[in-house]
Amino acid sequence: MLGSKEDAEDVTQDVLLKALARLHQFRRESAFGTWLIQIAINEARMRKRKLRHGIMFSLTNGADDDGAYVPKDFADWREIPSEALERSEIRESLAKALTLLEEHYRLAFILRDVNELSITETANILGITRGAVKTRLRRARLMLRDILSPGLQQGGQVGLAFKEVRKPWE
Amino acid sequence: MGITCEEVWRDISDYVDDELDPKQRAVLEQHFAECRHCAAVLEGTCNVIRLYRDERALAPPKGFHDRLHERLDQRLSQGSEERIHPSRRAVLAWALAAAAAVPLGFALFSAKRIILPRLGHQSPSGSPDSPAVMGLVAVSEDTDDKVFHIPSCPYLHGKPKFLPVEEAIREGYSPCPICIGKHKPEKKG
Repeated sequence: MLGSKEDAEDVTQDVLLKALARLHQFRRESAFGTWLIQIAINEARMRKRKLRHGIMFSLTNGADDDGAYVPKDFADWREIPSEALERSEIRESLAKALTLLEEHYRLAFILRDVNELSITETANILGITRGAVKTRLRRARLMLRDILSPGLQQGGQVGLAFKEVRKPWE
Repeated sequence: MGITCEEVWRDISDYVDDELDPKQRAVLEQHFAECRHCAAVLEGTCNVIRLYRDERALAPPKGFHDRLHERLDQRLSQGSEERIHPSRRAVLAWALAAAAAVPLGFALFSAKRIILPRLGHQSPSGSPDSPAVMGLVAVSEDTDDKVFHIPSCPYLHGKPKFLPVEEAIREGYSPCPICIGKHKPEKKG
């Protein structure tokens, strides 16, 4: 969300300390995890505004949520042994790929596919409808697939790490 | 084929989430069986989700846990030593439990890894195999309240069930305000 590991770590610490100080404000109107995530998102957004890190290359700049997304790569990408994640360059590529999405796509993807929240929980946290979550998820997933697909060359930084390693799981 | 590739791409995410009705699902499955391109898009999409759902994908950087503990210790030491000392373990347990749910750059990481060493050495009565040493929290199997406790909490009623704090949060449990949340660091000034 912040585009920098150092800022993310700093904000994570701030979030925990703030949540600790505000624990008495937790009213159980939502799940504890949901409450914590909302604090985290707000804190990260405030930090982002402060740091003005928002100017980043994004695959999705100006993209229209309702527009159809056409996959750019149809390479067969079927086998991923879990050992691939032992490699730091693979993990870095995954983190970098997320930064290439616009924030609203990235947040929907992280809440649903990284934190494994339900579509309804994701919608509640983001304050949007389930339909909007589904739309953002669809685009985020297809875009990440395109970014991470081996052999994809889309100029500049996109797919760089995977271009170098070329199907590391084979 | 009954459906175009464009229509498949529109519905593919809902297909993965099992959000389609059986009839739509069957139409897509028929298409995947006949269209290699769309089958590849489906497999790639599933692979992306599998990769990111692995906790190693966005693991916190090396030393993160130590730096977090250091900052928590600093914060705790700002309050009254007398008041904070008895709650130190509880505050740490809560804060570290909370870490499991923070979705920032690190997204998902194991609170178990954080809690384990802390509760272990701060719980002299805990045997090496006790739930606290193993980094687990306790919930009651006999009551309907969705609250998780430190295993030794006197307000834990009924038969306890021990589970990782991360799992407790995911299942909708909240920290016990007595054993975990009662003692907050004092505000300065």
